[in-house]
Amino acid sequence: MIPLQSETPLPDTIANLLGLSGLLGTIVGALLGAFLIANIVLLQTAVAGPWAKRKITAAFTDRISVNRVGPFGLLTIVVDAVRLLSKELVIPDGVDRPAYDLGPLFIPFSAILGFAVIPMGNGIHLADPETGLVFAFAAASMASLGIMMMGYGSDNKYSLLGGLRAIAANIAYEIPLVVTGASVVLFTGTLRMSEIVAVQAEPLLTVAGVTIPQWFAFVNPFAFVLFVIANLAEVGRNPFDIPEAPTEIVAGYQTEYSSVYFVLIYLGEFVHIFLGGAIAATLFLGGPAGPILPGFVWFLIKIWGFYFFTQWARSAIPRLRVDQFLDIGWKGMLVLSFANLVLTAIIVGVIA
Amino acid sequence: MSLEKPQDEQSNAVVAKPTTGEELAELLGDLAIGRDDHMNAPGFVIRPTDVQETLFRLRDDAGFDHLSNVTAEEREDRYETIYHLTSYDDRTREVSVVVPTTKDDPRSQSANPVFRTADWHEREAYDLIGIEYDDHPDLRRILLPDTWQGHPLSKDFDQRRPQVVTLKEWANPLADDHRDSEGETMYINIGPHHPATHGVLHVRTVLDGEQVADVDPDIGYLHRCEEQMCQTKTYRHQIMPYPDRWDYGSAGLLNEWAYARAAEDLNDIDVPEYAQIIRTMGAELCRIASHMLAVGTFALDVYGDFTAIFMYAMRDREIIQNILEDLTGQRMMFNYFRLGGVVWDLPEPREEFFEKIRDFLDDLPGTLEEYHDLISGNEILQLRTIDTGVLPPEVAKSYGATGPVARASGIDYDLRRDDPYGYYDELDWDVITDDGCDNYSRLLCRMREVEESAKIISQCVDLLEDWPEEERTIQSNVPRTLRPEDDTEIYRAVEGAKGELGIYIRADGTDKPGRFKIRSPCFSNLQTLPEISNGEYLPDMIASLGSLDIILGEVDR
Repeated sequence: MIPLQSETPLPDTIANLLGLSGLLGTIVGALLGAFLIANIVLLQTAVAGPWAKRKITAAFTDRISVNRVGPFGLLTIVVDAVRLLSKELVIPDGVDRPAYDLGPLFIPFSAILGFAVIPMGNGIHLADPETGLVFAFAAASMASLGIMMMGYGSDNKYSLLGGLRAIAANIAYEIPLVVTGASVVLFTGTLRMSEIVAVQAEPLLTVAGVTIPQWFAFVNPFAFVLFVIANLAEVGRNPFDIPEAPTEIVAGYQTEYSSVYFVLIYLGEFVHIFLGGAIAATLFLGGPAGPILPGFVWFLIKIWGFYFFTQWARSAIPRLRVDQFLDIGWKGMLVLSFANLVLTAIIVGVIA
Repeated sequence: MSLEKPQDEQSNAVVAKPTTGEELAELLGDLAIGRDDHMNAPGFVIRPTDVQETLFRLRDDAGFDHLSNVTAEEREDRYETIYHLTSYDDRTREVSVVVPTTKDDPRSQSANPVFRTADWHEREAYDLIGIEYDDHPDLRRILLPDTWQGHPLSKDFDQRRPQVVTLKEWANPLADDHRDSEGETMYINIGPHHPATHGVLHVRTVLDGEQVADVDPDIGYLHRCEEQMCQTKTYRHQIMPYPDRWDYGSAGLLNEWAYARAAEDLNDIDVPEYAQIIRTMGAELCRIASHMLAVGTFALDVYGDFTAIFMYAMRDREIIQNILEDLTGQRMMFNYFRLGGVVWDLPEPREEFFEKIRDFLDDLPGTLEEYHDLISGNEILQLRTIDTGVLPPEVAKSYGATGPVARASGIDYDLRRDDPYGYYDELDWDVITDDGCDNYSRLLCRMREVEESAKIISQCVDLLEDWPEEERTIQSNVPRTLRPEDDTEIYRAVEGAKGELGIYIRADGTDKPGRFKIRSPCFSNLQTLPEISNGEYLPDMIASLGSLDIILGEVDR
């Protein structure tokens, strides 16, 4: 079986395959590796955005959804891409130009950047710095900056409200998210992603010959639940889709965006959902680990599982009001996540 | 039977109150300068300066606490405002207060201090007819743009005159009104194109942070001159298609019944019992369809996207639309009622049609259970809707709120029982009320009313099935041309999907109405929006708007 974690990171593997070495090998390997990772991510998004989202929602709401172009309507993806990109780009008067244009770029790029440190199994792991986990969180939260630029730069009151709500939401839920992530780090003692995955490969217990690995979702299910909820808020899905809230503030910071800019924002949101799933999988579900199937397939199953969960929540759960949302963040999640951190620290301290 | 109001001590109190023309004449004394009786209500002519005193006396001493409608009209020699009063406790008590004003200076006192609902009704009268009301807090146009010249229902209005309507920026009414240099408010236009306004409604909103500081619904975007169109059509056939276009949220037959009831009473037309049962059944099907739409869109407002509950509600509404299509041949614009009955009998084969309705009714409890699981049982939805958009019963009465909006505020008022028509008083069903007064109560009320409507339909189906074949009269004999006597006036209402849907008709001796006035329940219900949403969060304002369940076609007419 192919090992889940190869010792050589992806750029080196590529450079070796091409027979390059030295500075040239590093640069070419890194570029090609990044290209590969970005394409893997964007491919998932392409399937998720125009097709899977519709199909999943339709299944929840007793509809049929896209089925005209291609098998199961799959070629809708192509049709939609052409349609969305060929629309007119309407830029309203009075927008704050550099901010208005840069905002939509920030959203997808920050999320794709986060994937650089995610171990996807089968040696697909672009970089493995010592600060891996912190890097992933930092990259993901850069999206807030983009949202702020969009909300402010659009010169629209709905956008402004949406931008403010998004910032408030990100601050309120990023802290519980990171603190819960830190409780995992207490177990592993390292922020390096590959080692976090490696620790989880250890057996937790053996029941009737089946070895259950030490995934932190099994070790500390409470932290896992907290993390998933905070993650849902972080990616802005129901019941936490306050920043967009189409029936209240008409999609918030996206209101004034059309055509390519809209595609970038839309794309970025889906990449964010997948990044949220990827971080959750790495921290709590053993990364790409799993029986029989190759690690990369398991990784895809896990991030798609999280994606499916967000769509389920979107179809079935009402939206909270903005003040209730912040109450839950500051008064509930924050307290619980710190309680979790302190308890974990005590338990780890006593055992170790 | 549940229809009998179990309120003996209350009805004793009602008896003590002046109801007949003579008793009321005695109560009003010198205030009344003449009589102008309408077909089912004593009418009193008063001076333009005595409006408030008269209405106060009628409200406080005679219990007329419901200003149902205000009709204004320009006559040959005078302008006239008619206040149609009735009582929430006993709908059969009615009185009309007629306020004539002179031609050269049409000016009378406003009823706004007595009934808050007069605010919008008098604005409409000012807008369309041109009567001015003293003491009115905010007398500006309501349906037409502010820049409109002339009053379109007045006699000297030049219809061919071009109107210039400018598009200017709206101003923040609270711009100068803030605590300190930091405490500014933000003006925001919600609508006329907004996902949550359920049509072309423009809500001028001032926000203080996320909270609503001021709300002013700006209506009239869907004004189609329905009243004036009805005045140019003949009673017999031509008016009936129009009611379908008022509340177009599948409530067509309920609206048609409003016109049918007023015109039948005006022309003294009987409706065969068999036709009454068909009408009752069709109307209740429409009510279920309407309430399904209301519940689905309300959930949509709270949930966010096109979520399961909305699609479920639409799916179940579709079944009713199919049944109604079988019955009337149409899915929305039914045009099924005729004066004196309905246009045709139930579709053949009858068994199949009954089977279809029974299947729907059998599935309904399970469907509603599913709705309760998905929405009313959901904790987040309860968190969002309980104690938001609170409408106390006194305020609701003052604003003339009716229908589920009033019943969710604990007002036990339903025209089907209180002013019986059709076949309702022969059937076994209950009026649903709830004391919550909030968005959640309004939601629950609608869902429980669906169950009651299902009960009514089921009884109607049983009756229709056993009806002897030779007695299936669907229409009574109605003259080809109807010419009610000159100057007969009638105000009649039915329980529409959203509340009391009333029609005022003044006959002028021809085969067309001299004045046709629609009392829209949505118009009055929407008026409560500022009352229930000021000070609340913006999302709750949206939810409250959804819970009022307005259809702009009926608000603007």
